[in-house]
Amino acid sequence: MRILSMLWSNLWGRPRTLLFPKRPVVTERFRGLVRFDPALCSGCAICKMRCTAKAIEFKAGKGEFTWSYEPGQCTFCGRCVEGCKDHALSQDSECPPIYTAIGELKTAYTVARKTTVKPAAAPQPAVAAPAAVPAIPASGETE
Amino acid sequence: MNLWNKLMCYSRRHSPWLFHMNGGSCNGCDIELIASLTPRYDAEQLGVRLEGSPRHADILCITGPITKTAVNAVKTVYDQVCDPKAVIAIGSCPATTNVFVESRTLAGPLNKHIPVDVFVPGCPPRPDAIILGVAKAAEILAERAGKKQIAEPVVMPLVGPGCNGACACGGEAKTAANPEEVAQ
Amino acid sequence: MNLITALARLLIFPGLVFAVPAAWFFLWVERKAVARMQGRIGPPFMQPFFDFVKLMGKSTPPRNGIGGLLMRAWPLIAVSSAAGAVGLLPVLPASGGFQGDLILLLALLELPSMCIIAAGFSSGSIFGEIGSAREAVLSVSYNIVFLLAIVSIAASQHTFSLAALAQQSASPLRWLGILAILVCLPAKLHLNPFSLPNAEQEIYSGPITEYAGPELAMWELSHGLEWVAATGLVATLAAPVLATWWAAALVFVALCFGLVLLLSVVAAATARLQIDTTVRFYWQCTLIFAVLAVASALFMRFRA
Repeated sequence: MRILSMLWSNLWGRPRTLLFPKRPVVTERFRGLVRFDPALCSGCAICKMRCTAKAIEFKAGKGEFTWSYEPGQCTFCGRCVEGCKDHALSQDSECPPIYTAIGELKTAYTVARKTTVKPAAAPQPAVAAPAAVPAIPASGETE
Repeated sequence: MNLWNKLMCYSRRHSPWLFHMNGGSCNGCDIELIASLTPRYDAEQLGVRLEGSPRHADILCITGPITKTAVNAVKTVYDQVCDPKAVIAIGSCPATTNVFVESRTLAGPLNKHIPVDVFVPGCPPRPDAIILGVAKAAEILAERAGKKQIAEPVVMPLVGPGCNGACACGGEAKTAANPEEVAQ
Repeated sequence: MNLITALARLLIFPGLVFAVPAAWFFLWVERKAVARMQGRIGPPFMQPFFDFVKLMGKSTPPRNGIGGLLMRAWPLIAVSSAAGAVGLLPVLPASGGFQGDLILLLALLELPSMCIIAAGFSSGSIFGEIGSAREAVLSVSYNIVFLLAIVSIAASQHTFSLAALAQQSASPLRWLGILAILVCLPAKLHLNPFSLPNAEQEIYSGPITEYAGPELAMWELSHGLEWVAATGLVATLAAPVLATWWAAALVFVALCFGLVLLLSVVAAATARLQIDTTVRFYWQCTLIFAVLAVASALFMRFRA
């Protein structure tokens, strides 16, 4: 009897379906495509090491590196995002798009390494290890 | 008979019948495929029917990285689906084997064995993404079949054990890069 | 009855021209009603027609030998017998009607399920064989009740002629028989709770597993025509006698529609029963009911 009353109320109520092109709004914790911000990345490659599916590739070159991401390989676990200390990676809260050819969605960025300023070497106190310390000029070195 | 062709193209787009096959998956994508038939996402509004036999279906939905034990079954089922057909690789596994990329029990991604039309990434993909994939595959199928001008139906021989060599290839084409090759 | 009217009844109404769109319409109504009751939207209006057209455009696997020939023949026999059953229904007032017999109608109604059973066996697949075996068991079970109900209806009115049955207004005994037929209808039309031969998860579509393309289109069409024929039979038996032909036709369509909705409610509300429960249901519960109907009909006949 309960079933019949449920069927009756369903029949006269509105269907709960989303009409086709409409898609549901996902929560902001939804883990979608990984987005990369080249301006923030410092090229540590922790994301590549943490990636479970080997979707991130990292090639180091002279003074620059290439970071590429294959969404078809990705399992959207979020380990790369968690591990990035520069917060250069973030995840979309949208579903990844469907595609028709392998490798269609692959993105690659070539980023020049940022110049880093090494902190000025503190003048060694004279009491440091005798004769083992090479004479270091007090001024900082830049690369 | 332009009107008939148009009608046929329209019908193929609006009546995609699926057959779901699990090629070694963890069942996450299978559950999401079944979830796309539930009231909230309702694939039936597109005319989708989940069929019980590969001979009845147009669109083959494959989940899972294709394990070595499943690869022959997948190829046999692909041959059993009648023309015109389309293949959807649901989830990241059939497209690129996802996290199992170094596993020694896999026979490789799906498009190494059968031609794939649509890839729906996700682990697992959301049901609305799967429905979008089905709609796209139905479109691709209708266009491809319309171009092939199926006025007389193309006979699809059963390739595999028991193949009687009735088709033009004489039983040599075990796999194909695209369905046009196998049909010829 | 002249030839023109007979042909019109057979081919136009309630024959082919009416039956085939009505088949698609009733298939759509059932899917839409079940979907709405489940809180979904369901397929758009012309969906069974598009399914049919799409299936006509698919290729079929090669079929060899006599088994192949039989496989191609069964769906055609099913469609033609179901269409014939629809054409035989005494919808319109019998002055120009196709003078058919109740026995003939029953035989034509039985043929589609016989064809499904034969098709499952001739397809050579094990799923087909299991499905056919289940369909055969189901057929034996519900047919006992069905035929007893028909016999009781005919005995209560002293006639087997369809036209005469349609002319006379329904007596209480006839309603008993109609109720028995209604109980058999879900099994005849492969609906839940008696949809065993089509059990997808278990036997991959059952008897029609190996069919594809235009043959499958014919099976779907024969299924739709079975809907029209079976609901039409109950509608003609239950309908009041009306003078004008268009009123009779309208009442017929309305009654069929109502029956389709009723069967959809039953299909949506129940789950598939196993074979032993199904057989037990038909043999235990409804057999008594049908025996009562026959006994009372015979009693009435001997009293009259």
